Amino acid sequence: MTNSSSIITDVNAHPTQDSSAGPDTYDLECRNILKTFDGGFTAVDNVSFQIPKGSFFSILGPSGCGKTTLLRMLAGFEKPTSGDIFIKGQSVTNTPPNKRPVNMVFQHLALFPTMTVAENIAYGLRQRKVAKHEIGDRVKGVLQRVGLPDSGNKNIAQLSGGQKQRIAIARCLVLNPDVLLLDEPLGALDLKLREHMKIELKQLQEEFGTTFVYITHDQSEALVMSDQVAVMNHGAFVQQGTPHDLYYHPKDAFVAGFVGESNRWMGRISSQSANGLEITTDSGLGLHGVSGENQSFNNGDKVEIFVRPEAISLVRGQGDSNNSNQLACHVVNVLFDGAKSQILVKDPQSNGEVTVSMPQTADFENLRKGELLSLSWTTEQTRCYRVEG
Amino acid sequence: MSLRTPKLRLGLLLLLTPMLLWLLLLIILPHVNMAIISLSERVSAGEYAFSLSNYAEFFTESLYWNTFLRTATMSILVTFLTLIIAFPVSYYIAKMLRGRTKGLVFALCLIPFWVSELVRTYGWMILLRETGVVSSSLQWLGLTDGPIEFLYNDAAIIVGLVYTSMLFMVVPLTTTLDSLDDSYIEAGYDLGGNGFTVMREVVIPHAMPGIVSGCIVVFMLTLGNYLTPALLGGKDSLWFTEQIFTQFITRFNWEQGSAFGILLLFLSSFIVWLGLKLSRQSFTRVMS
Ligand SMILES: Nc1ncnc2c1ncn2[C@@H]1O[C@H](COP(=O)(O)OP(=O)(O)OP(=O)(O)O)[C@@H](O)[C@H]1O
Ligand SMILES: [Mg+2]
Repeated sequence: MTNSSSIITDVNAHPTQDSSAGPDTYDLECRNILKTFDGGFTAVDNVSFQIPKGSFFSILGPSGCGKTTLLRMLAGFEKPTSGDIFIKGQSVTNTPPNKRPVNMVFQHLALFPTMTVAENIAYGLRQRKVAKHEIGDRVKGVLQRVGLPDSGNKNIAQLSGGQKQRIAIARCLVLNPDVLLLDEPLGALDLKLREHMKIELKQLQEEFGTTFVYITHDQSEALVMSDQVAVMNHGAFVQQGTPHDLYYHPKDAFVAGFVGESNRWMGRISSQSANGLEITTDSGLGLHGVSGENQSFNNGDKVEIFVRPEAISLVRGQGDSNNSNQLACHVVNVLFDGAKSQILVKDPQSNGEVTVSMPQTADFENLRKGELLSLSWTTEQTRCYRVEG
Repeated sequence: MSLRTPKLRLGLLLLLTPMLLWLLLLIILPHVNMAIISLSERVSAGEYAFSLSNYAEFFTESLYWNTFLRTATMSILVTFLTLIIAFPVSYYIAKMLRGRTKGLVFALCLIPFWVSELVRTYGWMILLRETGVVSSSLQWLGLTDGPIEFLYNDAAIIVGLVYTSMLFMVVPLTTTLDSLDDSYIEAGYDLGGNGFTVMREVVIPHAMPGIVSGCIVVFMLTLGNYLTPALLGGKDSLWFTEQIFTQFITRFNWEQGSAFGILLLFLSSFIVWLGLKLSRQSFTRVMS
């Protein structure tokens, strides 16, 4: 599902956060931001975070969780009900949007259709009263850097989706903002272009060295591009960490389910030992698992169990393995997608469906529907999270 | 499918026929007729000859010429005033109001136009005449000693015309401003613009087609208006349409009246063309 190789490179590249650093090493800091709308609805609930200079920070959350509201407060279009926003150590909570050293790439880009590409980019410079000849040079320079040196005289309507994207980013970056805010800028693009732009955005960010705050509901975008990801739900930050952290050490059931793909079961703890937990799923399956981060259980507690598709080993036909969890299933469907192919299997005992990553070996090429497969996975890869109620 | 398929061409023709008929019967035919009449001169009873004298009359008789200039300048002034008043109103309706209030306020702007122009103008007369509401309130407040006549001058005509034209400016402006997504305005601020520059560089360029089409309609309607100047204007407040009326109805000089009608058409078209050139807009774009 996710491109795991790029996650690993991201982790290596990630600047280690120095806890002794002063407040001005953070490009952006939020303290206890709260936003309550007129109707009494709390869209952003007590959010605090710090973003080190030059990093790519993503806010990941489902639709309606308050991402745009948070970003609009950072840009200055919305005033927090309480809390403070600092940019490079300076409070900007009461600074209007046109005076803040941040710029925003809008969801639908908002390139001015009445201006050419060059005029669009020059707009911000003109507002700053930059000298005419310098404007020309800087526009040329930034067009070069985003790889569109010849499109200065084009109209916005003449650009392709990906080109518009780059111009919208160039229009902000030409102003050298301390922080660039991006509101799901890839949402309007088709899948293929989105995959491509993910990599390009990351490269642009590294090239310019500007701090990016990127909001998205697409976990793969967040995982591929970010140094740090904050997972947001119902207006609050649930967990913040590197993509690697979130993927392998989710803090609760929401993060475990939202970041990456998982097979889920609902069940109850039947016994606990030093080797882990014994769980019985609602469908009657007995599993061996471990408790997720910072969780502790009593026997009989209701839990949600997560197993990643790529954690499951497969053997064709009847087979034995050393793994503690074993399940014999029949193939329901093969979802072929090249290297990301998956197999959908059904467990006859509980009638539940399980998704498994297809091993990239010749053995599984001619898999047929209905065939018997032996699934197995370890105790460590079976994570249990508490479910309230 | 291309337009060349016979079936489609027939369909297009059928669709366009009523339109073309309407144009031909109500616009082109009377104008051709008027043009012919305007180019003739009565030699003796029942006998007419070709002549340009009706047109020469317009350019040589300073009254006609001046009345036209006056009408044109005042129409331009009215158009400009209407735009200045209608723009903030439209901006408020399109960009500041939301949901139900928006529809309500917009409807409120339309309601006066359910009443006929005659009644609306009469409304202004009740307000502005010597014994009217404005004059009596001023006296009641002790701001003046005697009654004041606000009617029968150029200012009264302009007030009446601006009021009559309001709708034709507010509707196209609100429509174009409504189509401007808020994110463009926000982007304008985000990139460092202030209220004035965002208005000048983002909002007005976007609203330009609406502004120009509103101005054309208001200018043409004002120039061709008869009722308001006739009722609110004084003896000296001549309007060009009144000249045409006089020629046709009072003097029975159809030749002269036709010549004035044709001249009004061409001169107003010329002014609109000039306006389009100056604002760098194309007619087809503005009207689309
Ligand atoms: N002006 C407003 N008044 C009242 N409620 C609002 C306002 N703006 C947003 N909300 C509410 O706040 C919540 C969060 O909205 P927001 O736009 O921040 O979500 P989001 O995370 O960006 O969602 P999406 O991914 O769909 O863009 C929503 O439930 C929305 O209805
Ligand atoms: Mg949003």
